[in-house]
Amino acid sequence: MTDRPDHDLLCTPPPTTGPPTSDLAEILERVLDKGIVIAGDIKIDLLDIELLTIRLRLFVASVDTARKAGIDWWETDPALSSRARRDALAEENERLRERLDAFESGELTAAAPAGGDGA
Amino acid sequence: MTTPPPVLTYAFAVCRPYDGPAPTGLTGLDPGSPVRTLPTGPLTAIVQDVPAADHTEEALRRRLSDRTELERCARAHHEVITAVSSLTATVPLPLATLYRGDERVREALCAKEASFLTALDRLAGRTEWGVKVYAPTGPPAVRETPAVDSGRAYLDRVRNRHQGREQRQNAALQAAERVDAVVRGLAVATRRLRPHGPEATGPQRTHILNAAYLLDTTRTRELRAALTSLRRDEPAIQIELSGPWAPYSFTDTGAAP
Repeated sequence: MTDRPDHDLLCTPPPTTGPPTSDLAEILERVLDKGIVIAGDIKIDLLDIELLTIRLRLFVASVDTARKAGIDWWETDPALSSRARRDALAEENERLRERLDAFESGELTAAAPAGGDGA
Repeated sequence: MTTPPPVLTYAFAVCRPYDGPAPTGLTGLDPGSPVRTLPTGPLTAIVQDVPAADHTEEALRRRLSDRTELERCARAHHEVITAVSSLTATVPLPLATLYRGDERVREALCAKEASFLTALDRLAGRTEWGVKVYAPTGPPAVRETPAVDSGRAYLDRVRNRHQGREQRQNAALQAAERVDAVVRGLAVATRRLRPHGPEATGPQRTHILNAAYLLDTTRTRELRAALTSLRRDEPAIQIELSGPWAPYSFTDTGAAP
């Protein structure tokens, strides 16, 4: 008989134990929209509340929901997304091109007046 | 002479009538009235009187949109359900399931009696476990190459870093699938939940698997042994087990529509 589930963290070596909100997140994801739906007399849209107040911060919505809600965590976290990887590379390329342009359009001569003619 | 303030009946959970003491020491949503059982034919609802003024649609929306109040309500709701489910098979009801009096609760239970009985049969002797898998985020210490660096070498280095990161993430996702396959093999039912965001997980790791499993209580030892093996075999990921939970995630599957 336990008041709350125990967390078995054996062998998981996070540098710090998880923030207390993770426990709340686990409870919320279970109490908000689970269970046989029997209509109560007071109509309250829990999904509304969830979306407004916590899903945006505590949860990563399903990927589709996240996209609809404008959350791009999944796509911009370079750790998880190949698209983000491409974006990051594109940005990198863009910056390099700008630097190359700058070099080729005279700054190179200014910076290196003594450069010899090749060949 | 004052009339008592109007109350609503808050329903936490549904179970069968059971022998033994009702759960005690529970505050529930309102310290002013006890958490009690409400027998209805072959079913029993776990209920509490709550002030109607605090539970209008408007008041609920306001209170549950407040992070602190939402947490208080969610934990109180969860505490009652956990206490009941430690005594007998229990169908948890969603947060804020409210009726205008006991009679309305009875009507609701009668209308869904068959579904509840089916669910209670399926849940008897079983509990829910949560398995969460995380991949460490930040890149592992990259060996810096010397400052002398041609443009091409620089680009190569950037590309390698990205490729390495993507390979690690793919490996972590595959490891998570292996974890799921093992635990699924022990379970009678499975549900995927949404991964948690950085606010819940902290910045050092990304939540890549959030799953709930319904297991016979006789398999708890097997589950723990399997997790121990998985942690040994999958060093690239962090695996967390939580439970036993009341079967929150498994009350609707298979119920009559």
